[in-house]
Amino acid sequence: MTVHGVSDIFRRVLETPEIDAESDFFRLGGDSLLATRVLSAVARTYGVELTYYDFVLTPTPVGLATRIAGEAP
Amino acid sequence: MNVVVVGAGLAGLTAASDLAAAGVGVTVLEARDRVGGRTHGIEVAPGSWVDAGAAYLGDRHTALNAMLTELGLKKTPTRMTGRSRFALGSGDGTQLGRFPPLNAVALGEMFDLLADLTAVVRVDAPWLTPDAARLDSLTTAEWAEQHLHHPDARLFFPLFLGEMMAADPADVSVLHLAFYLRSGGGTRYLNAFEGGAQQDRVDGGAHQLCEALAARLGERVRLGEPVRAIHQDDDGPIVHSDRGRLRCDAVVVAVPPLLADDIEHRPDVPVRRAGERTARGCAVKVQLVYAEPLWRAHGLSGWSVNANGPLLSTVDDSPATGGAGVLTGFVTGGEARRFSALSADEQRREAAAQAAGLFPQLPPPIGIHVTDWLDADYSRGCYAALHGPGDWVRLGPHLTTPHRRVHWAGTETSTEFFGLMEGAIRSGHRVATEILTSYSSTGRSR
Repeated sequence: MTVHGVSDIFRRVLETPEIDAESDFFRLGGDSLLATRVLSAVARTYGVELTYYDFVLTPTPVGLATRIAGEAP
Repeated sequence: MNVVVVGAGLAGLTAASDLAAAGVGVTVLEARDRVGGRTHGIEVAPGSWVDAGAAYLGDRHTALNAMLTELGLKKTPTRMTGRSRFALGSGDGTQLGRFPPLNAVALGEMFDLLADLTAVVRVDAPWLTPDAARLDSLTTAEWAEQHLHHPDARLFFPLFLGEMMAADPADVSVLHLAFYLRSGGGTRYLNAFEGGAQQDRVDGGAHQLCEALAARLGERVRLGEPVRAIHQDDDGPIVHSDRGRLRCDAVVVAVPPLLADDIEHRPDVPVRRAGERTARGCAVKVQLVYAEPLWRAHGLSGWSVNANGPLLSTVDDSPATGGAGVLTGFVTGGEARRFSALSADEQRREAAAQAAGLFPQLPPPIGIHVTDWLDADYSRGCYAALHGPGDWVRLGPHLTTPHRRVHWAGTETSTEFFGLMEGAIRSGHRVATEILTSYSSTGRSR
């Protein structure tokens, strides 16, 4: 579920439909500024505040979903 | 047909070149003793030039890229590898990349809000944006007060605005901010180096653009000749400069709005070029020169972001040809106003002290060049004019409307890439086409 949700966030922020669970945000044109917008959407949607470095280490929907699951309140 | 172009910056020289190529007689009158306007090169070491004014470009700057190709000038990528320095209060540190050690979620919320604003603005006609009157009545300082709650967002917003548009948040309306970001290709594009508006520099300096255009125009470009008045009668315009009078068929005024309003018009213009709240772009560029880019050996990129001035950010601007290492410091917004009022010695002392604190690994710079655009009489600010509350709604509809035979150019007349070199060039092409189509019946004689 969370993987789909994060994928949708990627699609909206990157303005592209071409996202799957393993899509690397930075290879698809994302940068640090857009990454913060993913993180704010994650915080709004899942109530989890990840750091920019969490994102850099796992910049894919599946990677972020795993971190969200690990941090979920 | 004969056209007088006022201002030998990128806009004026682009227009003059297009008109000359179409067989029109042109005379370019420039107040300074140099061409280039807000592009300006400094030779920091023999044969090594840096940009003291406009510097950067990206792939979407198609008119500028075409001009570089046509003039045989080359680009060089902006270098950004290694760790960056951040002096942001609690967010201090040295780390990889440009992302500051601040709360990412808070910054993301700020960029979300900016994305919402840029999405609604009518970029081709900001005064027609839904809710334009309200967005044009608020300053971005008031907007930030209402919408930004996290201390890290409040700390970062003025720094972001300073870097993006050399503005203090109290200077610009929300409508102008939204328009500016959208006009430049969106926040991500404007902010980015690789893949964005700072991807490249002109190898050897952006000042070469105007120098090359002026060289082709030769004696048709006249320096040191400020224009004081433009009078129009039934026979057309007469341009009054400090050296005399020139009768012509049309005039292009290609200087920034605050400067354009110093020209006396008879009959008077129905609407001024600047509004009551239009302010000077607040930028002072400080170039710290070293024997070579010494920070690279320490794994540093040269990039820094700082909550306290004078240098609110620094970037590695070393000439690609070698010969020197250059850190360019940006003094922007309210800090630029304070810094501009200091003596030259105080400016250099403050800049050197800050560089020593940021980069203790480095020896003192062997040269410090301060270029103050705030007090530049024939620019009146840089990067571009800052439109404050009320300006867009009142001025916008008249942005490019000719005053009889007086036509307007300059980056501030371009709704595409406003405030950038690209906007200046596009405005020059636009005004040349405007003249060639308006007076086609006049013919090419005279």
